[in-house]
Amino acid sequence: MDRRELLKMIALATGAVVVGGEVFLTGCKTGAKTEAGFTAANISLLDEIGETILPATSSPGAKAAQIGQFMKIYVTDCYTQASQDEFTKGIVALEEACKKMHGKTFMDCTPEQRRELLLSLEKEAKEFNKGPEEKDKTLREELKGQNKVYDFVASPKHYYTMMKQLTLLGFFTSKPGATQALRHVAVPGKYDGALPYKKGDKAWAE
Amino acid sequence: MPDNEYDAIVVGSGISGGWAAKELTEKGLKVLMLERGRDIVHVKDYVNANKDSWEYEHRGGRTQQMIHDYPALKRDYPLNEKNLDYWASDKDSPYTEIKRFDWFRGYHVGGRSLMWGRQSYRLSQLDFEANAKEGIAIDWPIRYNEIAPWYDYVEKFAGISGSIEGMPQLPDGQFLPAMEMNVVEKDVAQRMNAHYKKEFRRMIIGRTANLTQPHEGRTNCQFRNRCWLGCPFGAYFSTQSSTLPAAQKTGNLTLRPWSIVTKILYDKDKKKATGVEVLDAENNQTYIYNAKIIFLNASTLNSAWVLMNSATDVWPDGLGSSSGELGHNIMDHHLGVGASGIVEGFEDKYIYGRRPNGIYIPRYRNYFGDKRDYLRGFGYQGGASRSGWSRNIPELSLGADFKDALTEPGEWRMGIGGFGETLPYHENKITLDKTKKDKWGLNVLAFDVEYKENEKKMRVDMANDAVEMLTIAGVKDVKANIGDGTLGRGIHEMGSARMGKDPKTSVLNNFNQVWDAPNVFVTDGAFMTSAGCQNPSLGYMAFTARAADHAVKELKKMNL
Repeated sequence: MDRRELLKMIALATGAVVVGGEVFLTGCKTGAKTEAGFTAANISLLDEIGETILPATSSPGAKAAQIGQFMKIYVTDCYTQASQDEFTKGIVALEEACKKMHGKTFMDCTPEQRRELLLSLEKEAKEFNKGPEEKDKTLREELKGQNKVYDFVASPKHYYTMMKQLTLLGFFTSKPGATQALRHVAVPGKYDGALPYKKGDKAWAE
Repeated sequence: MPDNEYDAIVVGSGISGGWAAKELTEKGLKVLMLERGRDIVHVKDYVNANKDSWEYEHRGGRTQQMIHDYPALKRDYPLNEKNLDYWASDKDSPYTEIKRFDWFRGYHVGGRSLMWGRQSYRLSQLDFEANAKEGIAIDWPIRYNEIAPWYDYVEKFAGISGSIEGMPQLPDGQFLPAMEMNVVEKDVAQRMNAHYKKEFRRMIIGRTANLTQPHEGRTNCQFRNRCWLGCPFGAYFSTQSSTLPAAQKTGNLTLRPWSIVTKILYDKDKKKATGVEVLDAENNQTYIYNAKIIFLNASTLNSAWVLMNSATDVWPDGLGSSSGELGHNIMDHHLGVGASGIVEGFEDKYIYGRRPNGIYIPRYRNYFGDKRDYLRGFGYQGGASRSGWSRNIPELSLGADFKDALTEPGEWRMGIGGFGETLPYHENKITLDKTKKDKWGLNVLAFDVEYKENEKKMRVDMANDAVEMLTIAGVKDVKANIGDGTLGRGIHEMGSARMGKDPKTSVLNNFNQVWDAPNVFVTDGAFMTSAGCQNPSLGYMAFTARAADHAVKELKKMNL
């Protein structure tokens, strides 16, 4: 991503965006790196959550992109401690919510039950995120124009928001996501700024 | 000649250093090019150039470890997983911020010519006259007609694609065929240009140092848009793709990486430099190299640093400090303000290929009768594209329908962002911080630079104009983006050793020679007397070629 790509991303990042530019740009305080402590069972669970969000259709789904493993790496290496904690707590919270709604674990649920749970979490997350979003917006405004060296720390979002963001990021940048769900050409060789498009044609991966 | 004797020494291997080496070697001089960092060999060392997103563990993003290790670089887009090795280590080379300054550096062969944005614009007569007409700082010692042939000269070799426009504020050049606007950009440009017809306010395709046809033995652009990883096709101008092979072809070049120039050696009797002292960054040994002329191309702020550390027995604040201007008048372009919105009616059109270029709107404020409550102006860069998988899909949040929707391109959006001129303020300065050392025990720079009222007022226009122009062009739901635009983030540092007509008020003369040591030429961004609002690198190329020509002529006349 060079400067022009960044400008483009910021241009696109107006409105409610699923994976915001701040994922790439936020400067964060950092503590000692801790292993987020993902178990094999956690990774299987995250695979199924990812697959519920982006299922296999005519193209592979999130599970085929090893989305659980990707989330483990990304959360462990890239998330702030606070977001990491929210995420790992979220794995437990999601199971609790699932038990409450369906009386069984997410893994034991049918695809329809899984959808139902995640749709309710989506609503919960939307409500929950108003808090951190407002807080971050205020802080950003305060910091603007101060010309100081500061560390802007994005407040952790609802755990389901993080799971969904990582599902999208991890899937569409994966090989199956980029080359089968989307279209990918490594060396285009030319530029056509008015390519005919019809509904159903896939987007370019890059 | 002994192996530490050369005709010329070039300090730095980025855009201007590469040009100095090319010009001087081609004129027959034996040249030593010194680079403080490691070597990066063209193509071979572009290790990530052919990697796809899934081959990066963090898909190109930034880890907490990277954020920890790069306290300056993390402040903007350069901190990323894909070309992390091309950016200087903030830990090895710290600096002091009396005021915040975001300094993003490339310490390796090629410098930032490997990662640059490649936008290439000429300064105009209006830029060269501005200081004198407005009574700001000092007058440039040259005018456009003196540099124009050198712009021609460097453009022909570097390969700049662009369109002929006949705009007085942005002179045309020796262009390769222009890249194309996409269908939405064309539509926006047509409406906008029709509206502003009378005032030279126009949206044009960006002028970029990417080849649109084979040129000088280099392959044309393949539209991968991965330029900043290094181009295996050599399709954009960099030291590695262009000036270095030309210099090496002469057989006259010696390139020495890992060579930190700690000072220029000065003979106070002859009033000339005799060579440089080098600290080997690998073995920490000190070496002396001698030459008849020295080109200082260490990048704007580091060139000032070298001067500040030189001839301190004669001038405590360093070579070139007799004017009191060395390290002062630091400029950058202030950015982070623009607007974007949705363009409807082109749902049956898409794009093929990743064009490494966008659109440009040259400066129009305070020109041609326009008068604002601030001086100078700004240009815009931007472009249109269809949004991708990270967009919000109303009414859908998971499942097959959601996935299907995200695998198709979304709405067209058009966005523009301003690049504003900063004035040269004497009090915007860098100094040596003698209390802090880098990895090699060398004093670091301290920054005391900020933008002021003129720039703040300009930023209001930058936002309002962006909204107005896009709205006039039929863009819907236009919203301003207003960032804080801290200085340094333009990565266009300029002005630490300005040119001028008078040694009392400037560091360099009209041929980029240090007044106090005429065989020392400074031809990176340090020489800029004012900033313009155009991306400056093309100008560094032109001034370097001109200075090299002058240097060799003077050598032949035994004047140096």
